[in-house]
Amino acid sequence: MPVLVRFWGVRGSIPTPGRATYRYGGNTACVELDVDGTTLVCDAGTGARELGVELMGRKGPLHVHWFFSHMHWDHIQGFPFFTPVYVPGHRFTIYGTRDGDTRFARLLSGQMRSAYFPVDFSELRGNIEAADLGPTMEREIDGVTVRCFEQHHPGLSYGYAFEKDGVKVVYSTDNEIDMMLRDPEQPLRDPGALRDVPADLVDFCRDAALLICDAQYRDEDYPMRVGWGHPRATTTVDLAIRAGVKQLALFHHDPMHSDEEVEELVAACRARAEAHGSDLFIFAAREGFTLRADLPHRPG
Amino acid sequence: MDGKVIFARTEMTDISVLPQRLFTRPHLFQVVAGEAMPRNITLGDGKVTIGRGSDCGMRLLSSDLSRKHATLERTRRGYLLSDLESRNGVFVNEVRIESALLRDGDTIQLGNMQIVYHEGS
Repeated sequence: MPVLVRFWGVRGSIPTPGRATYRYGGNTACVELDVDGTTLVCDAGTGARELGVELMGRKGPLHVHWFFSHMHWDHIQGFPFFTPVYVPGHRFTIYGTRDGDTRFARLLSGQMRSAYFPVDFSELRGNIEAADLGPTMEREIDGVTVRCFEQHHPGLSYGYAFEKDGVKVVYSTDNEIDMMLRDPEQPLRDPGALRDVPADLVDFCRDAALLICDAQYRDEDYPMRVGWGHPRATTTVDLAIRAGVKQLALFHHDPMHSDEEVEELVAACRARAEAHGSDLFIFAAREGFTLRADLPHRPG
Repeated sequence: MDGKVIFARTEMTDISVLPQRLFTRPHLFQVVAGEAMPRNITLGDGKVTIGRGSDCGMRLLSSDLSRKHATLERTRRGYLLSDLESRNGVFVNEVRIESALLRDGDTIQLGNMQIVYHEGS
């Protein structure tokens, strides 16, 4: 059962086109999961525009199940440029979290008022419906179990776990894990020690084949950005180690980081995992990469 | 001589006859490890199958490769490398991929072969 994960936008905060970000890409958050033909999309940053182009080339009417971490600009700006929503016959389900939570669908429409965008939301010809994940924030969609988790971010954000036939992919961006540590001073006092990440977050990510996780800051960047809603990449590594994750995709790259700096961050994270005796495989999420989460990630 | 420097006239047309190849570099696969290295393979347009099979457009003779291992297709976003459910997989910069848009300097591993992608101009 193939579980395909396509990265359409991996950058955090603001699009960053140009030579310095050419390899990893400058589009903001948008990730597609294709589980046995069911299309699940996380966020609609500027990467969603290119996803729309790709989906328009696929056969038959679309049904896109859309999940949002939150409504900050870098997670919604691609939606008005997502061509399929203009086409009759395609269906889009915008999920909120708990019972009756339709705010994501409502907030998406808000950015398509005339003061912001020339086309009004009401002019979209696709069938756009709001849904929720029920009282326990868990729901089954075409045999895929979707679970939702509250995260630490200004205004709140949500992470999602998708699981089918024992293959689990977790999408967790815009989560300042460092603010959730039981001892927030530990990384300063003993930077090399494995950090005390909350048990419920570890359980949420437990045994994931792939964890796509916010890793915006280097250790040296973070002290000036406490409370901005993003973690140290090294803390993300500790979460993945504790949860027994197999592959960690560093995500939501800092707009100030060049390709070379992203690669330096990957090297630092790999060194940390190795120092803790973990065989966790770490890489930087990259636009234009499609992975099969259900396959082993090492040669041979 | 009165000390004046006299420049010869140059016709503008002299510049236009410079061969085009001075200005462009082709897209290349540079095989850096494995059988048949060193070797440069110039990449063209369209879609090509990579593998050890005799019917592959890009035939690479390595026992680790499947007969039809991968495809390489030139798209409007760049070269797209895709695994054809090969036995040993396709890796780009150590990441096992189902498909990847290639960028200059990427290292591709197919079986025991290592290839560096050089983006042309």
